[in-house]
Amino acid sequence: MKFLTTNFLKCSVQACDTSNDNFPLSYDGSKCQLEQDESIEFNPEFLVNILDRVEWSAILQVAADLGNTSLPPNKPIFEDKNSLNEDDMAILRDLHILLIQTSIVEGEMKCKNCGHTYYIKNSIPNLLLPPHLA
Amino acid sequence: MLPTPYVKCDYEKVYEPAEDSFLLLDSLEKDQLYLSERFNNTLSVVCELGPGSGIITTFMMQNTMPTNNSIYFALDINPWALEATTDTAIRNSCEKSYLETIQSNLTSSIRNNEIDILVFNPPYVPAETIPDIPMDKNDIDTWLDLALVGGEDGMKITQLVLDQLDSILSINGVAYILFCARNKPENIVKLMKNQWSIELVEHRKAGWEVLSVYRFSRKSL
Repeated sequence: MKFLTTNFLKCSVQACDTSNDNFPLSYDGSKCQLEQDESIEFNPEFLVNILDRVEWSAILQVAADLGNTSLPPNKPIFEDKNSLNEDDMAILRDLHILLIQTSIVEGEMKCKNCGHTYYIKNSIPNLLLPPHLA
Repeated sequence: MLPTPYVKCDYEKVYEPAEDSFLLLDSLEKDQLYLSERFNNTLSVVCELGPGSGIITTFMMQNTMPTNNSIYFALDINPWALEATTDTAIRNSCEKSYLETIQSNLTSSIRNNEIDILVFNPPYVPAETIPDIPMDKNDIDTWLDLALVGGEDGMKITQLVLDQLDSILSINGVAYILFCARNKPENIVKLMKNQWSIELVEHRKAGWEVLSVYRFSRKSL
């Protein structure tokens, strides 16, 4: 599961929808095995559009869960999408490596509201609930 | 006409592409320009529910629908379908697209109002009951049944999605949903048309079945 996907996943328990703690899920860094996958090519425009959309505070939380505390506290902003300078490109390249190339191949994540644990196996997150919670 | 992805799966474990799958491909092809204009210059989050073999998501990736700024989520309860979807994507050289396969019961695992394009070929065959989700990955007959049967009027699962559509779709989001005549889609249109703009994109007679694909979007203010 690619890092960026963590910005879209919430707890499947319906009752948690009314809490603010069902997103992002909390990742157990000691149990998450990371891999770099370079099959998707770097595309600055794609990255800028992704950044427009993501919730940066959740990116920071998940990165910290996984042991990366070196991200800027505020979401990088690009004034003109069509004329990106070298510094912009360097930032976008780093974010490409983090958001798209970094994937969690095995791991665990937990809802901060109900505490339910979900697993990632063979890069596939399993968000199904056991019958008593569904 | 856009080429159909090459699919080779174990159809004892996942739903084999059939007329309904192809009608959805045709609907998306017909709306290709509409979608590329609607989602121009922005990130698009595409989400297919119940991808089965993965033919539809692969078709969208192959043809960069809606744009080349898209990420694709394929959500299925059937673990075999998730593996098949990845296989089909690779078989059709889509490894450079952003595809995530997620084991999930409908969209319960995805944040509200984040999906820009929802595609759903639901289990629509009327049946008295729908089996429970198996605990065992090897209970393949049940996984396959879940891909087909839709309870009363074949609408039980589709109705769950329609009831939540407002919290599933992004502000600008659209949903493509397949129906058979026994689902009585014209009744659904009647019930939902005050709140939603609903278009019949394609319909076709397939054997003794009449299939249709409707597009749902919010009414513009």
